[in-house]
Amino acid sequence: MKILVAVKQVAALDEDFEIRDDGRDVDPDFFIRDLNEWDDFSLEEAVKIREAAAEPVEVAVVSVGTDEVDESLRKCLAKGADRAIRVWDSAIEGSDSIAIARVLAAAAKREAPDMLFAGVQSSDQSFASTGIAAAALLGWPHAAVVSNLTYRPGAKSAVFRRELEGGLLQEVEIQCPAVLTIQLGINTPRYASLRSIKQAASKPIEVLSLADVALSEADVGETGSSSRVRRMYVPDKGRAQLIEGDAAQQAARLAEIIREFKGARA
Amino acid sequence: MGLLALAGRQVRSRVQDLTVSRTDAVTRILFEAFSATEVRLFYLLGYAAIAVFCYGVYVQIRKYRRGAALKLEGGLWSRSIAMVSSVLSHRTIDRRDRAAGGAHRLIFYGFMLLFAGTATITLEYDILEPLFGIRFWYGKFYLVFSLILDIAGVALIAGLMIMMYRRGWMRLPKLDYARPDRMPGDPDFDRPQYRREDWAFLWILLIIACTGYVLEAARLVWLQGRADVWDTRWWSPVGALLAEGMRAIGLGEIGAGQLRHGLWWFHGLIALVLIALIPFTKVKHIFTSAASLMVRDPLAAQRLPRVPESQEQVGAAKITDFNWKQLLNLDACTKCGRCHEACPARAVGAPLSPRDVILSLREFARSTLESGVVPDAAELDIHGKKPGQVAMETLWSCRTCMACVEICPVAVEHVPIIVQMRRKLVEDGAMDPLLTKTLQTIHKTGNSFGESKRKRGVWSKTLPFPVKDARKEPVDVLWFVGDYASFDPRNQKVSQIFASLLHEAGVDFGILYDGESNAGNDVRRVGEEGLYEVLAAANVSALKSASFKSVVTTDPHSFNTIRNEYPDFGGRFEIEHYTTLAKRLFAEGRLQVTRPLKYRVTFHDPCHLGRFNKGYDAPRELLALLGCEMVEMGRCKSNSFCCGAGGGRIWVPDPVGAEKPAQNRMKEAAAIPGLEVYVVSCPKDLTMFEDALKTTGNEGKFVVKELIELIREAVPARRTEEVTA
Amino acid sequence: MSGILVIAEQRRGELRPISLELLGAAASLRRGGDEVAVAILSDSPERFVQPLSVGGVDEIVTVKVATPEFDPDTFESAVGALVARRSPDVVLVAHSVDSFGYAAALATRLELGFATDVFNAEHIDGELVATRGGYGQKVNVEVDFPGRNTVLLAIRGNVFKAPDQAATPRVTAFEAPAAHSRAKVREFIELSAGDDVDMGAAEFILSIGRGIGEETKVAQFRELADAVGATLGCSRPIADAGWLPKSRQVGQSGKTASACKLYIAMGVSGAIQHLAGMKHVGTIVAVNTDAEASIFSVAKYGIVGDIFEIADELRKLF
Repeated sequence: MKILVAVKQVAALDEDFEIRDDGRDVDPDFFIRDLNEWDDFSLEEAVKIREAAAEPVEVAVVSVGTDEVDESLRKCLAKGADRAIRVWDSAIEGSDSIAIARVLAAAAKREAPDMLFAGVQSSDQSFASTGIAAAALLGWPHAAVVSNLTYRPGAKSAVFRRELEGGLLQEVEIQCPAVLTIQLGINTPRYASLRSIKQAASKPIEVLSLADVALSEADVGETGSSSRVRRMYVPDKGRAQLIEGDAAQQAARLAEIIREFKGARA
Repeated sequence: MGLLALAGRQVRSRVQDLTVSRTDAVTRILFEAFSATEVRLFYLLGYAAIAVFCYGVYVQIRKYRRGAALKLEGGLWSRSIAMVSSVLSHRTIDRRDRAAGGAHRLIFYGFMLLFAGTATITLEYDILEPLFGIRFWYGKFYLVFSLILDIAGVALIAGLMIMMYRRGWMRLPKLDYARPDRMPGDPDFDRPQYRREDWAFLWILLIIACTGYVLEAARLVWLQGRADVWDTRWWSPVGALLAEGMRAIGLGEIGAGQLRHGLWWFHGLIALVLIALIPFTKVKHIFTSAASLMVRDPLAAQRLPRVPESQEQVGAAKITDFNWKQLLNLDACTKCGRCHEACPARAVGAPLSPRDVILSLREFARSTLESGVVPDAAELDIHGKKPGQVAMETLWSCRTCMACVEICPVAVEHVPIIVQMRRKLVEDGAMDPLLTKTLQTIHKTGNSFGESKRKRGVWSKTLPFPVKDARKEPVDVLWFVGDYASFDPRNQKVSQIFASLLHEAGVDFGILYDGESNAGNDVRRVGEEGLYEVLAAANVSALKSASFKSVVTTDPHSFNTIRNEYPDFGGRFEIEHYTTLAKRLFAEGRLQVTRPLKYRVTFHDPCHLGRFNKGYDAPRELLALLGCEMVEMGRCKSNSFCCGAGGGRIWVPDPVGAEKPAQNRMKEAAAIPGLEVYVVSCPKDLTMFEDALKTTGNEGKFVVKELIELIREAVPARRTEEVTA
Repeated sequence: MSGILVIAEQRRGELRPISLELLGAAASLRRGGDEVAVAILSDSPERFVQPLSVGGVDEIVTVKVATPEFDPDTFESAVGALVARRSPDVVLVAHSVDSFGYAAALATRLELGFATDVFNAEHIDGELVATRGGYGQKVNVEVDFPGRNTVLLAIRGNVFKAPDQAATPRVTAFEAPAAHSRAKVREFIELSAGDDVDMGAAEFILSIGRGIGEETKVAQFRELADAVGATLGCSRPIADAGWLPKSRQVGQSGKTASACKLYIAMGVSGAIQHLAGMKHVGTIVAVNTDAEASIFSVAKYGIVGDIFEIADELRKLF
């Protein structure tokens, strides 16, 4: 039994970041990289399933990126993943979520897992598409925003709940194998102590090329994407009007705003 | 041999010459009127008791050897001297309980003298006389000997009775065995076996002592016909008094003889039983406490042990993961309750008592490691809620304030034991999610606030002068600022003031800006040793690349770890807390008090400066210098009551509705009439106590101020022109 | 054909308001002779014709499917067939939990141009250009779709205005091919758990975030909210930790503060999911110790300060 978890190393922007000269992305010097917050939860869900199962289950993580991504993959290994796979080719540069999904789906075909998990979205680009796009390429049943899951490895179906707007949940039964995108709060991700991360450094990361996953350059990069970035810019941020003074003065102004609002309503 | 015997005879006749008097032949004939069979029987029982004793000792030592290995620092000789001095002076037992110290002295010296007495007699009777023909226990020596032992017996009985009164009538809280880490109904909540053993020990000793006197008196009555015995009876005053009483009630020689005979056996048997049972009961504290004092680590809580690279298991998961010294510590505990009393977590109702952690583990070690074969690993797990195990909530309640370690009279080192168990919990991820988040944040950003590294020095930007970057240029004094002083708005104000004071005093100082990471003191005490190693390595590297003469810090936690623990990571730096630097600046006239403060203040000793590093004096001298009127709180200096932020607890929320240690402390301060300022010298203290001031309803009655802020008030800022000139 | 095809959303028999916002977006994208059609998928789609009869809609396409509620396979099959038949230039769906479940799959299979969480769309030099956020909403990203005849855009909620006049568009029915659904909806579960607050209807909300530090502090803010007459809300971490019921969570997945006019955020940093739920509110006041917190970028007024001090002072005035 195998569960494959697609993870992403996201980039947060440091203070005073700058846009690249070609205006289409931020200068990577200002990136602070870390594992996507959603992936903590999807990986934990897979590991929990493995720990609860009677039969042996392998949890493998897969990501697309350069060797910079290895740090996040090591973290996954420390958090309980058994194997890590990374796919990269310079042609993948400039891929959008659909092109990335193509690579992930190809890797999933190679691995032939019983389930594929991904996060609902990434905290940097928030496409909320990659997992479901991969499902279409695999031809698998799929569902998004899973906040609760009951699944026995190898079973023909799973029962899960989707977290809808407004605090509503919907319970659904889905045929397996399936692709599920996992929502925050589904579980409590375990802590990976630094020692275990250091020890995970000895576990190997399998690096695959495009050829290994039976893809060509046309499948990825800008050619393989469904959108193209024309321009990236810093918006004029609506800066809030700061209320100055000491706490008492600030609170007084806030009270005024509240009373104005109430007066307008009355 | 002949020469020896000749020498012996000459010594004997010399002594006899010196003591020629009516008393020169007086002595006590041992085993008088006992049949040879009885004597043989007694010796047989004696050897049996010793054999049982030896077996017991063997079982105990085998238990300790089943723990992990440990190499002690320091020589055996200096350790022995320290231990003997400690034991003879009883200074550790006197602390915070002079009455207990006094009563225990009576018992200790009384018992020691009586034991020495018996040993002396044995020495002559069983060794010197039969082998070498030497005798000394007679005449003047014998009489003075008797008197001393009589007094010793009185001391022993007095001590025992005081202790009985303490236990039975005084209802001292620290002698209450109710434990906060179990619920009523749990099998090990109530420990009646402890109470039974305590009273049994007291009674046995009392019976032995009392029967000793009755025995003495009975002999006197029995031998009243013998002048050398009867006429010298007042050299055993207590016995003589009792003898008079016996005669008064009509006890005759024959009766007394029979009484003596029977009582002799009774007294002897109980004494032998006591000896045999020493290694199996609390009586063994005689040896284990002394041994524990001998293997004491004076830096036990201040400098935690490293995890060797090769070690598979991190932290203590099984009882055998503790080293032999820790297992010995468990046996040294005398259940005196001082740590239980001192613990701030226990005081506010948290499920932690250092005493009960030690006792649980002790019971666990007894039930698993004293049998012939050590049980399987699965049965050696010390984490959990079963009898003998320690629960997670207990371990996470600890503030690592070392009040327990500091006060323990027998040098039990609770904090390293708790931290080692925490290391295992951290490996398992068994901690509050907020703590997990904080550790991840510290790993990612190098600080517990989650701020970008580049923001570390931002607090200094509002100052009218630039603060040197110690990474780029050499400085005299490198100021290690710390997380709270760099990022917390309230503490940033204090940092700005300190920077101004240093500037005005003409100190050439700088900070590491982004090069500084969280010093790691609390990360280590949470048990995340891997993250601590990363932080320490980063800071040591940053410090080594900089050029400076000394390091100063406004953060006692950073002070402790840089001073005591960084040397283990390749970084030995001369570091002082700002209070010693400030004291020096005033002494050198570089800072001068121009506006003496007339405040009535009290000072809260920060754990990591005071108790950890004995830094009690400098802050007080500064306050005196500033003109403040200092009123000490009851729990001050080494007994200072932790604000509750240590051991990672500042990152973990307290249970809803529970009292916080800082609130408990505020109430103590509020009881000082006319208090105007509650002075702290630690950023975490400032945060915790300002919060507690509000939540205890004391806002408006007095204020919480950092000592640095008071210095600023007394040394008002000079005008800019003067400063830059 | 060409034109703009809008896929409306319904749930439990009610049309979701974002459907009308999509029509507003469609109106802003319309060029010259473009027609705007809105499709509604349901087992009884006719009942949604009336609420969809608004200005700017030329055609309502009723699509009868087997399931009353959203199902990925059903929607992909039906919408896919619709798109294949009509070849619109642009297809608009909501950037919502439902569309998370199928839009990317649809775009992949039909090789459409695709962008999500779009808050601005326009034609520049004849090219469709969509704007979305990047790097945690710290930058804006303009994307286009070279070589794609049909582009699928998932539109962000609370950005476009619903059309206000009523109209009478023509109604057509579309015969969707039978879909083989590999999932089965069982039931809906309300999460209110006794706390019957309706965040969607609250006009004045006071929200707390991670900045409050610990659970013991919640009581203070609950009391403050009562005192000033606001409904107490929170960000995701507070609800996930169980300090407040999920029904109080404001954000992308939680309640969208749709009726809110005054929103005070205390100790809320402004993670994108939370902003998604409240950034549209007319007057937002943010209180936070961190001057760089994202919440200040959407707030009208900001107080950089200690939330507990401000809360104390504010409490005194009510």
